[in-house]
Amino acid sequence: MNDSPAKIAIDRLTKRYGSTLAVDSLTVDVPKGSIFGLLGTNGAGKTTTFKCLLGLARPTSGTVTIDGKPLTPENFERLSYVPERCALYEWMTGAQHLELQRRSFKYYDGRRADELMDLFGLDRRKKIGKYSKGQQTAMALVLAFSIRPDILVLDEPASGLDPVHQRHVLDLIIGEAAGGSTIIFSSHQIGQVERAADRVAIMHKGTLRLTGEVEQLKADVKVVEATFDSEAPQLNGLGTDPRIGYVMRAGKLLRVYVGGDAGEIAKAISAKGPRSLRVLDQNLEDIFLSTVGAAPLNEAEY
Amino acid sequence: MPAVFTVDAHSGVPIYLQLIEQVKRSIALGVLSPGEQLPTVKQLATDLTINPNTVARVYRELERDGVIETSPGRGSFVRSNGGVANASRAAADVAAAALDAAVREAKSIGIAVREARELFHRALERWYPDHEKTEDSRS
Repeated sequence: MNDSPAKIAIDRLTKRYGSTLAVDSLTVDVPKGSIFGLLGTNGAGKTTTFKCLLGLARPTSGTVTIDGKPLTPENFERLSYVPERCALYEWMTGAQHLELQRRSFKYYDGRRADELMDLFGLDRRKKIGKYSKGQQTAMALVLAFSIRPDILVLDEPASGLDPVHQRHVLDLIIGEAAGGSTIIFSSHQIGQVERAADRVAIMHKGTLRLTGEVEQLKADVKVVEATFDSEAPQLNGLGTDPRIGYVMRAGKLLRVYVGGDAGEIAKAISAKGPRSLRVLDQNLEDIFLSTVGAAPLNEAEY
Repeated sequence: MPAVFTVDAHSGVPIYLQLIEQVKRSIALGVLSPGEQLPTVKQLATDLTINPNTVARVYRELERDGVIETSPGRGSFVRSNGGVANASRAAADVAAAALDAAVREAKSIGIAVREARELFHRALERWYPDHEKTEDSRS
């Protein structure tokens, strides 16, 4: 999986708006057939990265290549982009948008488009301006998936959608990837990224903080989770162990995040007599929060 | 093939390992029969809302373990040769994985070998009450 050539290669991409450094020397490879999740708090540089990737913004320096070559009009025939904010014509109906898509894209698939319109329950005769925000997002997704895309770039594709339709979006993404398409998407729904993505990159304030395979990243840090019969005890002495990332304490529950082998730490906690003790892989939300420097829970909050 | 697999992305156990174990368990329990077709990668990935590469990895490892066979264009099937032997080996694999996890956890929380052995024998006595506590259980 790792050896496949990059479908999308972002190399030392830098984008500056005036005095603001929106993206700072970002290097990321997206392998073919991958579902790549781009995570970051607001203002991390995700949307700017997408714009540079699509040629909608000119990089200050660095390059973006697709199949090893700069973006060409040919790429665009099989490339779909769903921006964070709706970019449809409010005065046109759903049907008119489909027609526009049919005329613009060689690989437009009308049957697929019809299926998707039904899936999201969209009224073809209605003007886009009369759609709800969620319906506008859904319409943009219908258009994106209707052209049999080779590459899909989705900026917050689930925003404004109800949980059922969010699930449809994930299923569509997974289906496309299974068919060989490459997907790069951003989302604040970390749980969804965790399930669907095979690789992620975490950006913070314009820079890449962490990237890799989801399963690998989750296995890299172990969580020692212990429950006690009363208030979880202090970790005197252990607290300064360099292997410990951070400690979460919530009443009787204690979670200690350990980089590398957790055996010794688990043993030390075990000596404090917990009722139960487990060593687990961490989840993506833990990884994200610790990467952007926000612990999930402060001790003081509980 | 309506065998129901589920995954829990937050369980702390990698999704591909959860799935491998469930397929083996399904075969051991006879929910999946020899020769039965497994869902396609795309089907299972969308059913479970997980990454297709994860499913592909599960199938690759199951094939390597001789549990399933895949023929290009036709799909993946539970291996028919071996039949019952195959299923009982799958059962043994499931049991071995569970034991392995238990021993690893015991070790990680500082249980000594002696103590672990004692715990294991106690578990045997509990679940095989009719069986004499002798060494012949190895045969």
